[in-house]
Amino acid sequence: MAEAMTDATAAAARVAPAGAALALDNVASGYGAVSIVKGVSLSVAPGEIVALLGKNGMGKTTLLKTILGMVALRGGGITIDGQALGTLSPAKLVALGVGYAPQEQPLFQDLSIRDNLRLAVPSDRHLPAALERLFGHFPFLKDRLAQRAGTLSGGEQKMLILGRALMLRPRLLLIDEISEGVQPSMVERLRKVLLAERDGGLSMLVVEQHVAFALGLADRYAVLKLGEIVDSGSTKAPDAQARVIDHLAV
Amino acid sequence: MLLTLDILTTAAILFIVSIGLLAIFGVLKIINFAHGAWLTVGAYCAVVTAKLGLNPWLALPLAFLVGAVLGGIAEHFIIRPLYRRPLDAILATWGLGIVVGQLVTLGLGRDVQLTPNLYAGTVAFLGVDYSAYRLVALGIALVIGTMFALAIERTRLGLSARAVIMNETLARSLGIDTGRVRLVVFMIGAGLAALAGVLLTPLTSVDPNMGVAWLIGAFMLVMVADASYLALAAACLVFGAAQVLISTFVSPILGSIAIAVLAALVLRISPKGFSRA
Repeated sequence: MAEAMTDATAAAARVAPAGAALALDNVASGYGAVSIVKGVSLSVAPGEIVALLGKNGMGKTTLLKTILGMVALRGGGITIDGQALGTLSPAKLVALGVGYAPQEQPLFQDLSIRDNLRLAVPSDRHLPAALERLFGHFPFLKDRLAQRAGTLSGGEQKMLILGRALMLRPRLLLIDEISEGVQPSMVERLRKVLLAERDGGLSMLVVEQHVAFALGLADRYAVLKLGEIVDSGSTKAPDAQARVIDHLAV
Repeated sequence: MLLTLDILTTAAILFIVSIGLLAIFGVLKIINFAHGAWLTVGAYCAVVTAKLGLNPWLALPLAFLVGAVLGGIAEHFIIRPLYRRPLDAILATWGLGIVVGQLVTLGLGRDVQLTPNLYAGTVAFLGVDYSAYRLVALGIALVIGTMFALAIERTRLGLSARAVIMNETLARSLGIDTGRVRLVVFMIGAGLAALAGVLLTPLTSVDPNMGVAWLIGAFMLVMVADASYLALAAACLVFGAAQVLISTFVSPILGSIAIAVLAALVLRISPKGFSRA
């Protein structure tokens, strides 16, 4: 289906400026005999937020997992801060400064919030500083460390997931549908935290289905359809929202 | 009274034998059919210690060390390449168990070996004369169980192991070196099996195939316990009691298959076994 993508779109997507925080070049991946991501080229500049939009089953999560090395790369290349990712383990990626806020089964529901956070730092030594940072973003967690993570509300869980990903001061953050099922006031809180982090120099690739949230947050967007990028551009373009909604319509 | 002590000490011995298998099952999601082989190796550590004329208690740390080192080697070269093929891994551990049994036969002969009792004699306990060693074994089981619980609940390795048991994908994505967790848990599990082998020597004869019978019982108990050490303790008590009672009042032969039959029944009625309690 590569021919469905216009040359202009392909060229726009492939602009990978030198020193990109994340650069994907013709990335392909999938599970078993099924090909999910079919040649995606995309870049995120330092301090930039790129929104990756698309409906369910279009390959957004698989693309994130491919960047993280959780799904095998079958073609193309991925570089982070100019460093090519061959077979780096997730542990090495964390050390490189890559944070991840997953969507599916993102928390150990039966463990306490503290234990959930302990598992995200390389050793308990790092925990106090990481917690300070977390409470800076989400103070409500301070008094609830002993509580089981599964007892938090949906929105609170999302804050814990985002806070956990930010604890170790990542340089690149991959976020999977952080606004899903979250009430508007909490979405706004998430947005403010993310924008503050962006202004601090953090680069982000934000997978979303919530168009208004994604376009209000990101600098650029790309639309993924059946494993390929079918549209991309600046979120400031006057027709951006109309184009994205058009792509997401059935 | 005698019966109560028999039940408690039988449960203790079952617990010592199966706790290592449980740890490996929980974290690596495979049944390590070489468990019986580590147990045999541990028992032979006691034989060798006795032949060298050393203090028989030295066999305990020696067996744990030998079991852990051999387990580490096995994990690295045999189990690890089969992570994504759990059925093949089970088959491989079964084969490994046979190989280890044969190596023991080659090195030390197929004869039944005798070892000095770690703690001989009887003691008067709550009005009955009882085997001192079985009481010691009960104490050791409580110590091992407590240390295991503390390691699981209080240490970072224990937390990582629980994380891998609950959701390995998430644990990996958070940067936990799940390969290391698997290796260490396998080493501890194999070490505990070898330790159990030493502790069994005063109660049973030592021969190259001694591990197999214990493996079957431990396997059944772990299936019923489903990766929870508290459920394992409960299963050991219930099935140990059944074994003792059937052996005493019906027939020792029926008693020896009680665990297998009961485990099959429990799993038929409740597939998650005792872990739901």
